[in-house]
Amino acid sequence: QLSVLLSLQLTSEDMIAAFSQAVDWAGCTVRAFAWHPHTNKFAVALLDDSIRVYNSNSATVPSLKHRLQRNVAAMAWKPLCASILAVACQSCVLVWHLDPTSLSTRPSSGCAQVLSCPGHSPVTSLAWAPSGERLLSASPVDTAMLVWDVSTETCVQLQWFGGGGVTYLAWSPDGSKVLAATPSAVFRVWEAQMWTCERWPTIRGRCQTGCWSPDGSRLLFTVLGESVIYSLSFSEYRGEMQGQVGGSKTASIVADLSETTFETLYGEERIGGEVHSMVWDPTGERLAVIIRGESPNSQPAVAVFRTRNSPVFELLPCGFVRGERGARPQLISFHPCFPQGALLTVCWSSGKISHIPFFFVGALEPHASPRRSPVPVLGSVREQPLFSEL
Amino acid sequence: AARAVIGRCQARRRRGRCVLGWRVAAAITWSVLLLPICTAAFIILSGLDPFHPVRWISNSFNDLYTSYVIFCIFLMSMVIIIISIFNIEFYAVVPSIPCSRLALIGKIIHPQQVIHSFVHAIMGMLVTWCATVMTKGRFQFLAVSCTPSEGLEDAVPQMCLNEYHLFFLLSGAFLGYSYSLFYLINNMNYLPFPIIQQYKYLRFRRSLPLLIKHSCVESLHFVRNFCVTYYFFGYIPKVWICTTMDLHTDGKLHPLDTLSGLLDLSLFYHTWLSGVFLLMTWYIAWLLFKIYATESHHFPIQPTFAQETDQCLPKILNSNPPLLIKFLALQDLMLLSQYSPVRRQEVFSLSQPGGHPHNWTAISRECLSLLSDLTQRLIAQQEAAAAANGRAKPPVGESSPINMSFQSQRSNIVLRASMSPLVKPSLMPVKTSPGSDVGSPFSSPALNYKMGVVDIKSPWHGPVQSPHVMRRGPKLWTSVSDQQMNGSHHESFPVLSAARTGTEAVQPRFIYTWLQNKQEQIKTFLSKRALIMYFFSKHPEASIQAVFSDAQMHIWALEGLSHLVAASFTEDQFGVVQTTLPAILNTLLTLQEVVDRHFKLPHVSSKPPRISGSLVDTSYKTLRFALRASLKTALYRITTVFGEHLNAVQVSTEHKKRLQQFLEYKE
Repeated sequence: QLSVLLSLQLTSEDMIAAFSQAVDWAGCTVRAFAWHPHTNKFAVALLDDSIRVYNSNSATVPSLKHRLQRNVAAMAWKPLCASILAVACQSCVLVWHLDPTSLSTRPSSGCAQVLSCPGHSPVTSLAWAPSGERLLSASPVDTAMLVWDVSTETCVQLQWFGGGGVTYLAWSPDGSKVLAATPSAVFRVWEAQMWTCERWPTIRGRCQTGCWSPDGSRLLFTVLGESVIYSLSFSEYRGEMQGQVGGSKTASIVADLSETTFETLYGEERIGGEVHSMVWDPTGERLAVIIRGESPNSQPAVAVFRTRNSPVFELLPCGFVRGERGARPQLISFHPCFPQGALLTVCWSSGKISHIPFFFVGALEPHASPRRSPVPVLGSVREQPLFSEL
Repeated sequence: AARAVIGRCQARRRRGRCVLGWRVAAAITWSVLLLPICTAAFIILSGLDPFHPVRWISNSFNDLYTSYVIFCIFLMSMVIIIISIFNIEFYAVVPSIPCSRLALIGKIIHPQQVIHSFVHAIMGMLVTWCATVMTKGRFQFLAVSCTPSEGLEDAVPQMCLNEYHLFFLLSGAFLGYSYSLFYLINNMNYLPFPIIQQYKYLRFRRSLPLLIKHSCVESLHFVRNFCVTYYFFGYIPKVWICTTMDLHTDGKLHPLDTLSGLLDLSLFYHTWLSGVFLLMTWYIAWLLFKIYATESHHFPIQPTFAQETDQCLPKILNSNPPLLIKFLALQDLMLLSQYSPVRRQEVFSLSQPGGHPHNWTAISRECLSLLSDLTQRLIAQQEAAAAANGRAKPPVGESSPINMSFQSQRSNIVLRASMSPLVKPSLMPVKTSPGSDVGSPFSSPALNYKMGVVDIKSPWHGPVQSPHVMRRGPKLWTSVSDQQMNGSHHESFPVLSAARTGTEAVQPRFIYTWLQNKQEQIKTFLSKRALIMYFFSKHPEASIQAVFSDAQMHIWALEGLSHLVAASFTEDQFGVVQTTLPAILNTLLTLQEVVDRHFKLPHVSSKPPRISGSLVDTSYKTLRFALRASLKTALYRITTVFGEHLNAVQVSTEHKKRLQQFLEYKE
């Protein structure tokens, strides 16, 4: 519980910096990044507390500013909606209602809903239900996480004693479960129908990041202080087992990322260490992680793995993504509906954002959604150091 | 046939009672079981003695087992049961919202409410009597022996009035009455459904801190008000009790209806504490009832046994059960469509002999009729608003273009729907609005309003009649008078339809119009008088809330329907959903247009008001925002899953354009 006490003494900015998914939240120009779940549109939160929304179909770049929009830690677009963006700020959650057809570059602050609850700040993580109806918000100092009905601005507190606040949230893509990491060496997995939870103590430190397989049956997570990726499998969700999370007994280690020497085009490099953030693409075929170097002269790097979830879980190394010389990766994210495979977006410390496409045909049968129908282009995964810029 | 209908109604009512019966029993049992805990806490706190903690604790624990405490607990259990019965008799899933001050006054003096208040006052008195008995000390008896104030040695001891006791009893009555009044004003009989499902224990635990805080604060306010009242009017009951019971006043004691008498900290503390005790036990009973009543119920889709047919979800949705059962059924529909693939499969299944998709037809029909009902109501309200906005009243026989377009749209839907073999022609039957017994004080004007909305195909709804809708717009009368108005409307229906068929009916129609005009004139005359205006003026926000007061049903219908349609893309093996898809899209898109238009009306705020996290739920005030959001989400859910395939669905060109907007995520 020491870490809990420590976290209470931190200033809220330090706290956000400690728990943010960005590698260097305090110093980097890009603080948060979010793809729209259905369209080619993304939002970028900048160091000056403004948010820019880029759209592939329009040249206007709206810039969102609000009096309460300070120290943005996370952003999330509402699924099944044209343009509603939730922003985790220092004192509240702002929900921007943007008009997708508007040409204005400065939406007024009247477009933003303010969701605040006493004792619930700073907000460091947000998650929308995939069905678009509820929003979860979490703060490292509040032991309760809040379930919001955004349209009516009402919230329900989900409290579970012990473990301090909640630092990171991840809602599984099938909507059945939510990962809630705490500042202590414990994380919880909530089941999203009756809202009961299973508690998972870790050995070393707090859970730093986690991501779900597309069907919500597997959770990959990493722990602060360990350079491995754990996997936790859940019994398949059928809806009949109300109020059960159904996690397996123990988590297994699926990858060891301790420091090793690699021969690259630029000479020998040492890469490896703790994982800072981790994303899984919507088809479940690629996993990208930001590895923080262990030794001072090693660089943070983005490593990509090829994954398969069924019939057995497989995780194979695929390659590294490199930016411009001297640029360190800050944030990573996969495009939620890239039709030809997967599209990884990396925000670099230089302030540049690059999109790296991976062309492949899904191993699984094409998904139900017509947006994911396979395209008969047989691409190969490029394993050389990639460099592409927006 | 009539008897059969009545018999079926009774069966339905019984079934409704049956689902509710167990829940009520459980809620009452728990509130009675929690009573001893509250009592123990009360006894410990009432004997508060911070300077001798050991003696205080031991005394309190000794008091717990005494026979009079046990008797008091027994008596208060009776009180809790009576309070619970009132909760059950008065609950409503659709809140009644008084649209003007007069309506509120009308509600307060309604006989039902008067009985409610009276019984609560008596119960309050009983609880405080128990509290005085358990507190002991100087508050315990109404009559105490005292020596006459002359102070003579040989004076015989007399019975004197213990004013503290009287003060306590009256405060109990006052608290009970105030509770009842606030119960009415805050619509505490309204059962709000939670935004997420949770186990009962967790819900109770979540609300408990709020409940304690609320009771403490409320008790403080009530006691303050009571002190003021007692200061001014306290002498009346005192003198009355003294004369009837032949008691004397003790001259040595301070009279309590003076400032110095009321500035007694111990008295204040004990009154406040017994107030907290009273409110807490009652609120716990209320909260438990609320939690138990709104718990989701699992309705089977297909009967396993023949006699269970009446309990099935499609059957219940299509019949007219008690409103709470209908709400629970719709909630269950929403949950199954979202979480249970197995039960969804049952919805999409075909009947065994015959191969008809009865389940899906019944469910979709009911959802669609609910939604088109709402569309009708909103159109009527918008027309009324347009009329109230000072637009010149169009002459009889014409209607505004907006009106026309609406009507053509509506007939479009109906036409399409009735052509579809799956949807019965009675797609939009006149439903007496949920829970609107016209006589009850809980039927709001807006709901009565709904009764004026009739089947589209009836001749009443031709363009000729639309001025009536307009005329009802600037309504001044509320509640009581509304009912009368509605009554007259009802009477006028046959007359009106006759007017179409035969010319001889023109005369009564003329008289009716004339009467309407007169009524209108009187109203305009009255509305110019300031005082009357104060009572009669409708609060715009309240009237909007009233229109959407049962929107929870529509939200669930939207969510259930859209989830089912989305799931049907992969799970519907026989394609039963496809046949109704055009009707569903039409209904949703029409509703979307109407809702959009509603939010553009003047007086309509586009943002929900801030809700403080208090015990009293005011979620009915924001239902319209929830409806707007879930309507949009529902449409997006369907368009996202179906994607380009929607171009093959037959909808009007206007709706096609709208759908395209949704497909491009531009709405």
